[in-house]
Amino acid sequence: MLVVACIKQVPDTTQVKIDPDTGTLIREGVPFILNPFDVHALEESLRLKDKYGLRATVISMGPPNTEVTLRKALARGADQTVLLSDRAFGGADTLATSMVLASAIRRLSQAEEVALVICGQQTIDGDTAQVGPGIATRLGYAQLTLVDCIEYVDLPARKVKVRRKLRGRHEVIEAPLPALITVTREINRLRYPTVPMRLMAEEAAITLWDNQKMGLDEATIGLKGSATQVRRIFSPERARGEILGDGANEPEKAAQLLLGKLIEKDLLYL
Amino acid sequence: MSPDIVLFAVVIVAATALFGWSCFRRFRLITLGRDEDRFDKIGERLKNTLVYAFGQRRVLRRPFGINHVVLYWSFLILFLANAEFVLHGLFPAYVSLSRLPTGLYYTLAFIFDLASLLALLAVLVALSRRLFLPPPHIEARSRDSFVILSLVAVLMIAFFGVHASEIAQGTEAAARFMPVSALVAAAFMSGAPLDSLVGAAGFFWWLHALVLLGFLNYLPYSKHLHILTAIPNCYFRRLDNVKTQSREEFTAGNTYGVERVEQFTWKDLFDSYSCTECGRCSDACPATFTGKPLDPRLVVHDIKANLLKNGSQIKNKTDRVLPLIGGGQVGSVSEEVIWECTTCGACVEECPVFIEQYPRIIDMRRHLVEMQARFPDDLSTLFENMEQRSNPWGMAPAERTKWTADMSIRPFEAGKTEYLFFIGCAGALSARSRETTRSIARILDAAGISWGILGRDELCCGDSVRRLGNEFVFDRMAEENIKLFTEKGITRMITQCPHCFSSFHDDYRQYGLELEVVHHTELISRLLKESRLKLNHTVDLGNVVFHDSCYLGRYHQIYEAPREIVASVTGRAPIEMERHHSRSFCCGGGGGHMWMEEHVGKLINVARIEQALEKDPATICVSCPYCMTMLEDGLKDKNADDKVRVLDVAEIVARAL
Amino acid sequence: MAEEKKIKKPHGVARLIQGKCIACGARCQMPCPKDAIEMNDQGEPVIILEKCSGCRKCLKVCPVDALEIYYTPQEEKILAEIAARTKAAAPAVEEIDKEAAETLARLKEYRGVWVFIEQTAGEPAQVSWELLGIGAELARTLGVELCSVVIGGGVENLCQESFSYGATRAYLIDDPIFHHYRTEPYYKAICHLVRKYKPEIVLMGATGLGRDLAGAVATELQTGLTADCTGLAIDDRRFLLQTRPAFGGNIMATILTESTRPQMSTVRPHVMPLPQRDVSRRGEIIRETVPGKEADFAVKVLEIIDTRKEGDVDVAAAEVIISGGRGMCAKENFDILQELADELDGVVGCSRGAVEAGWMPAERQVGQTGKTVRPKIYFACGISGAIQHLVGMQDSDVIVAINRDRQAPIFEVANYGIVGDVLQIIPALTNRIREMRTQRRG
Ligand SMILES: Cc1cc2nc3c(=O)[nH]c(=O)nc-3n(C[C@H](O)[C@H](O)[C@@H](O)COP(=O)(O)OP(=O)(O)OC[C@H]3O[C@@H](n4cnc5c(N)ncnc54)[C@H](O)[C@@H]3O)c2cc1C
Ligand code: SF4
Ligand code: SF4
Ligand code: SF4
Ligand code: SF4
Repeated sequence: MLVVACIKQVPDTTQVKIDPDTGTLIREGVPFILNPFDVHALEESLRLKDKYGLRATVISMGPPNTEVTLRKALARGADQTVLLSDRAFGGADTLATSMVLASAIRRLSQAEEVALVICGQQTIDGDTAQVGPGIATRLGYAQLTLVDCIEYVDLPARKVKVRRKLRGRHEVIEAPLPALITVTREINRLRYPTVPMRLMAEEAAITLWDNQKMGLDEATIGLKGSATQVRRIFSPERARGEILGDGANEPEKAAQLLLGKLIEKDLLYL
Repeated sequence: MSPDIVLFAVVIVAATALFGWSCFRRFRLITLGRDEDRFDKIGERLKNTLVYAFGQRRVLRRPFGINHVVLYWSFLILFLANAEFVLHGLFPAYVSLSRLPTGLYYTLAFIFDLASLLALLAVLVALSRRLFLPPPHIEARSRDSFVILSLVAVLMIAFFGVHASEIAQGTEAAARFMPVSALVAAAFMSGAPLDSLVGAAGFFWWLHALVLLGFLNYLPYSKHLHILTAIPNCYFRRLDNVKTQSREEFTAGNTYGVERVEQFTWKDLFDSYSCTECGRCSDACPATFTGKPLDPRLVVHDIKANLLKNGSQIKNKTDRVLPLIGGGQVGSVSEEVIWECTTCGACVEECPVFIEQYPRIIDMRRHLVEMQARFPDDLSTLFENMEQRSNPWGMAPAERTKWTADMSIRPFEAGKTEYLFFIGCAGALSARSRETTRSIARILDAAGISWGILGRDELCCGDSVRRLGNEFVFDRMAEENIKLFTEKGITRMITQCPHCFSSFHDDYRQYGLELEVVHHTELISRLLKESRLKLNHTVDLGNVVFHDSCYLGRYHQIYEAPREIVASVTGRAPIEMERHHSRSFCCGGGGGHMWMEEHVGKLINVARIEQALEKDPATICVSCPYCMTMLEDGLKDKNADDKVRVLDVAEIVARAL
Repeated sequence: MAEEKKIKKPHGVARLIQGKCIACGARCQMPCPKDAIEMNDQGEPVIILEKCSGCRKCLKVCPVDALEIYYTPQEEKILAEIAARTKAAAPAVEEIDKEAAETLARLKEYRGVWVFIEQTAGEPAQVSWELLGIGAELARTLGVELCSVVIGGGVENLCQESFSYGATRAYLIDDPIFHHYRTEPYYKAICHLVRKYKPEIVLMGATGLGRDLAGAVATELQTGLTADCTGLAIDDRRFLLQTRPAFGGNIMATILTESTRPQMSTVRPHVMPLPQRDVSRRGEIIRETVPGKEADFAVKVLEIIDTRKEGDVDVAAAEVIISGGRGMCAKENFDILQELADELDGVVGCSRGAVEAGWMPAERQVGQTGKTVRPKIYFACGISGAIQHLVGMQDSDVIVAINRDRQAPIFEVANYGIVGDVLQIIPALTNRIREMRTQRRG
């Protein structure tokens, strides 16, 4: 049986800075990394592999250089990887992304039963948290988002028990398999790849599925299959180092100025 | 005495055979280690042996070392005496001192007599020190020490016994030249009947013989194995300073680091046999000092103990009885111990017999990181940041030029700029160290040096990951840097951080990088000497104490350059802390410890600050961004940051421009 | 010798404007009919000039206008010539696509703005009321009704509450199977309502629950969903302009759902102002039932654990963090920070210095060897801003620094700073907030 981790390669947005003069992004030297939430999805799938003997499969939709990221997943212990890459997949929103991923999982399940699909809670670039629910809905799998603990998986009974972390409460839920789980970053501590595994991963074969293989209707994928269109992108205006008032002599007034700013910039409501 | 001779011959053959067997068993294990070439440069090695083994140069660094020198030289002399003793015992008709020309005979007799006295005294001093003024490490009071010291004492007493009884019998021609024995004879034996004197002579002779052979056979099983190994260990020592680790080759099927004792090289194993358990390394170690579980002496001891315990299993390729890494008992090193080392090099610097302690710790770190992926949690982020973002904090490349602030950014251009000013991650990203960077830039300009920077393209040198045993990531980082330097055509480099300095100077040399690298303190001191840099005025910084960076000082012997600079700027040489120069005490930031919390014992930086505060300073002068951070933090912990400040050498120079 | 031959209009070729591409995910590559675009390792397009026909399709899809058409000087000349010749001619009327017109007509069937009222065990989430505020504005602009969607077990009272906040109609599905939130019954219920009543806009809170639900609903309805919007407005074609941060807050994007309906957005709590509550307002409740019974749903909620009272503060997940450092001078002074935190629904964090001094537990430490946080607002009080601290909080949306030392590096990363004594400024801030709140209520 398979546990499928969906991972995405993203630009390391923490490394992106805005040029104060031109207002454009400085992307020079900014690396592409494995989405920090998805590392935990991967880790959780590996733990399920270790614990229940599931085969850990990693899939990712992205440009050809996503291969580098998939190798990192292999180095950590994934059994197989599938790269979903095709020009026709480009420019996808979450609807079109979940279309490709769900179809890939369906394809995998034709060869071997899928017990669980694990996604990250969200990505750091798109930051929508919509792909997981999209996949679950398309496949009709039980949808369990924001899971911070998988208590058990009962394979013979086809059941899973998880804990979801919501603001102010935890929910303990039991669901039938197959299920799709999106995980928080607290769910596990990451393992680190050993050198022999890294070297093995560098040589390993990566399966590539393009649309010729997948055969999806071009109207449902990529830019054409996207329901949302990005109309305009601009940089947020943000104050840099604005010193408010004379805090040393007029603390009250400075505090009032600050409060005014925070309210004015929609940061605070009273 | 013929039955005696037969008996003695039997005893001596048995004892020698036993000794030989013991030595064979011990030294055969050494050959299990991996290869390492320490057979080159014979001349230099012989010289080292003379200076450090026979000259006892390092032993003498500590005041009490003189006692060892006395004992050591007495022993060397008495080696002759004992050889004569044994041969004479076997072939009384052929071998005897008295058969030598009288002049020589008398001289030797005198020397032997005196050497025995000195040895006896040295042993007594050593014994009383252990009893009444014990050195800090308990091992000094071990049974082993007392057994050996007592054996030596008895041996000397027996020596005097034999000669005194002969003198009392009137059979010793050289009696006049053996003042000590003569004194013993006069004090204890005058007027004794002849047959008891003969009896006494026989008794002492046999006592001497048995103790001597007993001692011989005790040696291989005690720490006094060093009597046999220390001299060769000095011969085989590393000829340069220990300041880098060997490269690893990353090909499928290899293992990395050391998990099993035979993965050390033969020399590493030989090291463990050579430890005298003098405890100097423990005494110097900042981790031991602050109550951490790490004690470099014990690491060396554990390696030896592990080898002895597992020896036959290794040979027969059966399961180990004791894992090297694990802890819990002698012969096994715990993971906590392995992670406590700051790679300050104090242990290596102190060891009188040139044992390389901390490189073995790094070997074991390599195993843990590369084969087991086990390391303290704090390091996860560091490793990720270093690998993916090429800086320890994961800051954006755009931040690397922030220090330039109002200065214009000057990119390095081959042919146009002479020096690459390599800023380093701390110098570029830490607000405090940016001040140092700016100061250096001003100084370089004032001296008319042509320099440029890599700006956003600069990468981390990888020092921390290498010391932490993550050789794989270091290897990749090094390759990237080399590529960058080659592309940019860099040949001369100024670094602000001693860790970058040391990496490019030594670690990168293994990758074929032949750069001229200079640390800013060296360059500034040179510029001052050559009068290319002129100071406008002296600066009053109050009492200035200077703190040595391990990677400049012990690693590269750069002790004087920063001190000279301080003297030029303030008009006074800096005040020395109790531990300074080669004995300086680490700030606590090296070996990857900048990125780890200390959970056990006292904080190393606080310990160092306390040492500094003893000198009542107004300014603590440093030459390294790690020291800067650690000492500033230490000051804050001691609530002394309003009275004392930490400044980099470059900053004080900039104030005098 | 005058050449009367018709001059061929040059098309030029596409070219990337340096520094503008944000590597959006190869949008430009996809529509290119000539396969003239390759993406490089930085995720930027490389245009193969020999192949490019200058069709401009890539230009149109690039969200940041990073592509332009480039003409050689020679081509420019020809262009100028053509322009001169055709000056008199009438400008070409842009032909309206027949397909597009059909779509537009289909979209017109959808009317009304809906807000999903989120509740747990009958207790409504405040974000729902905030959404009614912005929803009312949108509805007014569109000239349509603002409706609430109330789903749960025994939650009818929320319909009236939604009227108090501005809704004029409520769709209510009240059934014990909805007692606990579960994705499947909920999303099916909403899809049932949407298919029946066809709203043009559906808004939900970007809470754990809302994001879970919205993703499923949008997928089932095959429509666009925009996450975490910070701004909502209507354009001249009655389209919803949804503005949201992306790229870790480094950019803002305005997103449209052009050819499907409803247009769905989630909005984070505390982003939209809470509208005035007026209990006198009334509205119409439309009761609906959905086919389905408990046995149809295999997912079971076994237990709900309230984590609010447990006292374990989760600094990493907090939206507002008030952090103190050595500049707080004493352990007791952290109470001042706690008071402000209580007012702002935030938590108190600290720097390593405060932990070393024994003023705060290590779990609250933010930075290199502590937590990495990304709150909406981070207050750094008496924190110098050493890099070891910065790495843990520099990605916060807004940083406020309060420090006595104007030279402290924290001001370099702060958006707003006050130079002064924290022990005076923080209480002043807390008092001011309390004052304003009482004023508003009174
Ligand atoms: C500025 C901008 C704004 C955008 N806003 C929206 C928007 O509001 N609505 C919208 O629908 N789209 C939007 N998009 C498109 C969207 O961000 C992504 O391109 C979409 O493909 C994936 O969504 P996500 O990254 O937010 O993933 P999330 O839904 O946040 O990801 C959740 C999890 O799904 C899995 N996953 C996501 N993508 C992949 C993948 N490619 N391969 C494998 N697993 C994956 C991972 O496990 C991940 O952790 C926007 C794009 C840009 C450039
Ligand atoms: S290098 Fe320094 S810290 Fe490490 S063992 Fe030696 S003395 Fe101790
Ligand atoms: S390792 Fe060297 S310094 Fe340390 S105890 Fe042994 S001999 Fe002494
Ligand atoms: S202009 Fe047209 S042909 Fe040229 S690159 Fe753009 S989409 Fe392709
Ligand atoms: S569409 Fe624009 S932003 Fe996206 S990859 Fe192409 S050029 Fe870059």
